[in-house]
Amino acid sequence: MNPPPNTSLALRLEGVSHSFGAIDVLKDVSLQVPTGHITAVLGPSGVGKTTLLRVVSGFETPVSGTIEIGGRVVVRDGRSLVEPEQRGVALVPQEGALFPHLSVGENVAFGLPKRRSSQARARVNELLELVGLGGFADRRPEELSGGMQQRVALARALAPSPAIVLLDEPFSALDASLRMSVRDQVVAALRATGASAMWVTHDQQEALSTADRVAVMLDNTIVQVSEPAQLYSHPVSRRVAEFVGEAVKLVGNVEADGTVTCALGRLPLNGAAPRGIVTVIVRPEQIELDESPNAPHSGITIATRFYGHDGEIDVRLDSGETVVARLHATRLPRSGDRVHLAVSGQVLAFA
Amino acid sequence: MPAAAAVFVGLAPLIYLFDAGFSRGVQGVVDELFRSRTLWLVVRSLGLTIVVTLACVLIGTTCAWIVVRTSLRGRVVLLTLFALPLAIPSYLAAFAWVSWLPGVAGFFGAALVLTIVSYPYVMLPVAAALRATDISLEDVARSLGVSPFAAAWRVSLRQVRPAIVGGGLLVALYVVSDFGAVAAMRYETFTWVIFGAYRSGFNPTRAAILALVLVVIAALLIALERRVRGRTARTRLGRGLNRRSVQVSPRSLRIAALAWSSVVIAVSVGVPIVSVVSWMTRGTAVTDWSDVALTIRDSFGIGIATALATVLLALPVGIAIARFSGRFTRATEASVYLTHSLPGIVVALAVVYLGINLVRPLYQEVPLLVFGQMIIFLPLVVGAVRNAVEQSTPVLEDVARSLGTSRMATLRRVTIPVALPGIAAGGALALLGAVKELPTTLLLRPTGLETLSTSIWKHSVVSDYGAVGPYAVALMLLAAAPTAVLSTFSVMKAVRQ
Repeated sequence: MNPPPNTSLALRLEGVSHSFGAIDVLKDVSLQVPTGHITAVLGPSGVGKTTLLRVVSGFETPVSGTIEIGGRVVVRDGRSLVEPEQRGVALVPQEGALFPHLSVGENVAFGLPKRRSSQARARVNELLELVGLGGFADRRPEELSGGMQQRVALARALAPSPAIVLLDEPFSALDASLRMSVRDQVVAALRATGASAMWVTHDQQEALSTADRVAVMLDNTIVQVSEPAQLYSHPVSRRVAEFVGEAVKLVGNVEADGTVTCALGRLPLNGAAPRGIVTVIVRPEQIELDESPNAPHSGITIATRFYGHDGEIDVRLDSGETVVARLHATRLPRSGDRVHLAVSGQVLAFA
Repeated sequence: MPAAAAVFVGLAPLIYLFDAGFSRGVQGVVDELFRSRTLWLVVRSLGLTIVVTLACVLIGTTCAWIVVRTSLRGRVVLLTLFALPLAIPSYLAAFAWVSWLPGVAGFFGAALVLTIVSYPYVMLPVAAALRATDISLEDVARSLGVSPFAAAWRVSLRQVRPAIVGGGLLVALYVVSDFGAVAAMRYETFTWVIFGAYRSGFNPTRAAILALVLVVIAALLIALERRVRGRTARTRLGRGLNRRSVQVSPRSLRIAALAWSSVVIAVSVGVPIVSVVSWMTRGTAVTDWSDVALTIRDSFGIGIATALATVLLALPVGIAIARFSGRFTRATEASVYLTHSLPGIVVALAVVYLGINLVRPLYQEVPLLVFGQMIIFLPLVVGAVRNAVEQSTPVLEDVARSLGTSRMATLRRVTIPVALPGIAAGGALALLGAVKELPTTLLLRPTGLETLSTSIWKHSVVSDYGAVGPYAVALMLLAAAPTAVLSTFSVMKAVRQ
C-alpha cells in the first residue's frame, strides 16, 4: 500500500545519490521543501547543486533514492517514473534563457495549455503585472535588460502554476547594483503567488536574505537545513560556520563551567562543546574596540579596509593569532596602531 | 531511423565503388593503382589542390580582414561582391575565361578559375570568425608593445585559425571533386578521367578504383584538418561585450586594401560577367526565349525539390549531431561529410547503378535526379542545421520541457523555430547548389529535360557561346541575389552574438 500523498510538501528527496562514472556528485541527499516556501540550496561551485536541479527536474535519473513532487512519486529507488514535462517543475535558469523567437508575452504563455485563448492572455498580463513588466507583452526579449529578462523568465515559470519553481543561480549574471532589486522583485512575485521554490545559489547573502530555509550543501551532500538566522547562529559544524558568514578562528579551551578561554578572553559559549582544546569561531562583527582602561587584550593593526558603510581591520594579537574585526567606518584605526579588543555575545566552538 | 537513412544515403556511393572497383579482384585493383598514369594523376590533382587551396587561403583571409577590420567605406557592398563568385558555376567561369583568353587553358587556367570561384569558402567563415573575436585583444597586444600587423597576426589570426583551416578544407575538397572547370580548361585530373572512363562505357572498374583513390585523398584531407584544428584554443576567457568599432585605418592601408579588392573582384566577377554579356551581343544564334523560360522553370523546380528533400533529411541528422554526442552520431557525421568529397560524377553513377538494380522504374526520372542531388548537398545542409542548432543553448529545451512540453513538441516549438534562419540558409544553399550542379544533372536527368547548367554545358563544349549567353545570364542573375543575401547574413549574424 502506498502512503497517501503528502501535499504539505512541494518537494521531498530521500536518500538521493548520483554519480557520473566513478565520481559521486550527489551522496545520500535528503531534503524537503514545504508547500509555499522558498528553500535555498547554498553551496560552493562544483558541489553538485546543478546536478541536484537536473535530477529533480528529470533531466538526470539518480542512481538511487526517491523523489516526490507535490506528493507524487516521480523517482523511486533510482528509477524515473515521470518524464520532465509531466513533473510540474518550472525552470528559471541562469541568464533567463528566454525563447529568442517569441515575444515576451508568448514566452510567458509557453507553458499554458491553451496559449492563444483569452484566459491565457489574461494570465500572461497578470503575471507580467506581477513582475513589474505590465505592457511589455509585445516586446522582443532582446530589447529587455538582463534584469527584465530574468523577471520574464520567472513569470514564464509561474504561469502554469507549477508544483515547484526551480531557480538555478538566477542572478549570477546580473550587475551587483541590479542584483538586489531584481532579487527583491522575484521574491515578492514568488510570495504573491504562494509558489514553492527551490533556489540554488553560491551567494550566502542571497540565500540568507531571501529564503525561508537554507540547505547547505558541502561535499556533494546536504549537511544542514535551517532557517537563515538559526543557520548563522547555530551552524552544525566548523565547515558550515566557515562557509556561512565570515569566521575568525582562535585556539581555545572549554572550561568546566561551559565557557571557553582564548586569546580574546573567557567567553560564553553558544551551545554545547566538548571539554578540552577546541577551535573557537567568532564573527567579525562580534569583535569591538575596547576603550575601557586596562583593557586586557590587545594587538597591532596590520591592515585596514574601508567599505563606506563600515570597515574591517586585521589585528595580530599578542598571542600571534590574527583576527578580523568589523567596525563603524568612522572609527577605523590605521595600520600599525595598537588596539584593544573585546568580544560581545556568545561564540561557537568545535572540536 | 532518419540517421540510418542518412547513413545509407551517405554510404550508397561507397558501396557501389567497392562493388565495381573490386569486380576484377584485389589483383586488379593493385595493377590499376600501380600504373604510372595513376600516379601521374595523383600528382596532377594534388598539385592543383595545393596551389588553389593556398591561393584561396591568402585571398580569402585578406579579403575577410579588409571587410571586417579596416575602416574602408562600403564594406558591406564589398562583402557582397567578394561572395558573388559563389553564384558562378566553375564551368561557366572557366568557359568565360577560355572564350576570352584561349591561352589560359591548362594548369594555370584551372588553378585560376578554381581559385576565383572557391575563395569565398575561406572568406566567409573567416570574416564571421573575425567579427566574433574581440578587438580589444588586439589592443591589449599593442599596449604590450606589439606593432599593429604583428598584433593582427599573433592575436586575431591565431584565433580565427580554425575558420581558415575549415575553409581551406572546403576548398581542397571542392578542387578534388570539381569536374566542370578542369574539363573546360582541359587539365586532366581524376574527375575528368573518371568521367571519360564512365562516359565511354569502356572501363567502369578503372573509374571506380580511381574514385576510391579520390575518396582516400579526401579522407586524409579531413583527418589533416581535424588535427590542425584540434590544437587551437578557442575558449573565451572572461565576460564582457566585444568592442566592435574599428579604428580609422591609415590612408596608405586604405588605398592598398582598395587596390587589392578591386583586383580580386575584377578577376573573379568582372571577367566572367563581361565575357558572358559579350556572348549575348555576339548574336550568332536566335534566342528562343520561351525555351529559356522553360529551362529556368525546370531548373528551379528540381532545385526546390532537392532543397526540400535535403532539409527534411538533414533536420533530424543535424539536430542529433548538435545535441547528442555518441558513437553513432559521430559515425553518421563522418559518413555524411565523407560523401561531400565524392565527385558529383561518382555519386551520379552510384545512383544510376542503384536505379538500374533496385528501382528500375525511376531510372532517368526526376525523383532519382533529386535523390542524387540530395546525396551531394546533404553534408552542406546538415552542417547548416547543426551550426544553427548549436548556436542556441540546450537550456532553452530544458525550460520548455519543464513547462510541460514533450520531446517532440519541444523540437517543433523551440529547437527548430530558433534555428530556422540557419536552416533556411542551408536550404537556400542546396537550392543554389542544385541549380548550378552539372555532372549529376547531365547523367541523371530524364531524356529531353534541360536545366540551365546542362544548357550552358551543351552549347559551351561546342564553343557556341552566342547560344549560351541567355542561359548563363539567367543563371548568374537568379543565383546572385540569394548568394548576396546568404553571405552577408552569415557574416553579419556573427555581430549580434
